[in-house]
Amino acid sequence: MSERFSRFVLPFALVAAALAAWEAAARSGLWSKLLFPSLVNISREFVLFFSRPESLLEAWVSLTRALGGFALAAVVGVLIGMLMGRSKRVAEVLDPFFSGTYAVPKLALFPIFIFLFGIGSLSKVALVFLECLYPIVVMTYSGARNVNKVLLWSAQNMGASRAATLRRVVVPATAPFIFAGFRIAVPVAMIVVVITEMVSSADGLGYLVIYSLSSLRTDRMLAVVVVIAILGYLLDKAVVLARDRLIYWEKLDTYYV
Amino acid sequence: MGLAVLLVVLVVWQFAPLPDFILPPLQILKDFFQALGTAELYEHVWASLKRSLPGWVIGSALGATLGLAAGVARWFDRMFSPAVFLTYPVPKIVMLPIFMIWFGIGDLSKVLIIALACFYPVFINAYYGVRQTRTILVWSALNMGASRAEIFRRVVLPSAAPMILASLRVSLALSFIVMFAAEMINARSGLGHLTRMAENSLRFDLMYVALLAIAILGYAGDRLVRYANRRLLAWQEQPA
Repeated sequence: MSERFSRFVLPFALVAAALAAWEAAARSGLWSKLLFPSLVNISREFVLFFSRPESLLEAWVSLTRALGGFALAAVVGVLIGMLMGRSKRVAEVLDPFFSGTYAVPKLALFPIFIFLFGIGSLSKVALVFLECLYPIVVMTYSGARNVNKVLLWSAQNMGASRAATLRRVVVPATAPFIFAGFRIAVPVAMIVVVITEMVSSADGLGYLVIYSLSSLRTDRMLAVVVVIAILGYLLDKAVVLARDRLIYWEKLDTYYV
Repeated sequence: MGLAVLLVVLVVWQFAPLPDFILPPLQILKDFFQALGTAELYEHVWASLKRSLPGWVIGSALGATLGLAAGVARWFDRMFSPAVFLTYPVPKIVMLPIFMIWFGIGDLSKVLIIALACFYPVFINAYYGVRQTRTILVWSALNMGASRAEIFRRVVLPSAAPMILASLRVSLALSFIVMFAAEMINARSGLGHLTRMAENSLRFDLMYVALLAIAILGYAGDRLVRYANRRLLAWQEQPA
């Protein structure tokens, strides 16, 4: 296998094969159009999605919920994580709580949140906040706790105040961890928004998926799925971009930036 | 210290004036122990586990196998990894309706969606685990005349093992979330279904019983995986 073939052809081979198989299944007539709508129909619905103001509005609703909950979790989570990392006493109180309930699906609280915050956006944003809080707190905590001691000693030695040490040593050292937490939390935010919208079925992209399904428009449903996928992808890209801008001294050396 | 704070919170919760839908902790415990005496709770727990555990096992096994393969074989990496990393930030639960059309509304579609969700973190960790293998170890093995299979088994696999095992913890938590979501969206049994049913009929006691059950399951599962981690990685230096 030549190097050029393996570098430029293989990455697309699987995707192309999958799409071709899909289209073949759609056209073979073996299955109902409901099971495998043709790619042509899906792309048409995809284009139609962007021409309809009401579907764009649903996308906007989902996006604001995800970002709202995430932003709240980012602020509160970084604050809590920093406090835990820099103060033994705070860590002693909060660490058992966070590590004890980490693996518990917070989604189970959704019905209670509905009674607390109503059926609208607030209950969904609250759940997004809660689910995003965990990875951000845990990552920030592990970063802030393990700041290189030598750097801290040097700063103190050079007469830096506590505030200066925090701002110029602790925060930069923790920043990569904070962004690692953000990177975990952003897809979580999307997941929670879509799930809650699928469950409560009133508005948003998750509702659109369920609605298209129950009106037996699987081509439209798949177009919405593609929209959600693209949104998830773009949000992740945005986090990576912001990370590389802010943490210019440490490149993320992963495969998929 | 942490215990004292928890105690204060519980006492305040118990005696504070609260709306109907927030039950005091002692009431929740009482309801829970009452439910433990009935067959219904066990049926729902069993229905849930029957979906989440096979999904977790299938997804994690596939993720570990393909992740190791992508880490070792370059052609497979180039063919398979782009698709995985591209679809990684996509919420997998949106595939549930399609899976329901393809595989029916029974357990199969739910098991498969859980497997799909569990696949990603395990694949990615296995992949990076392999790639983080220290080249000097591989060289040493080669130098000592190890075959490719031996290098894989005795060098690559042990160095990838911690990351794979760490991802099993993530995927277990994920399997419970997706299970719960799938059951809330469409199911006739399971803890997610029980929660929804309780919500619709305003049976707050049942709601908290289901909540407590899923919390205990999640916590116990996490503990088990962490225990297995420590046992399996006993040869490794433990981080504090």
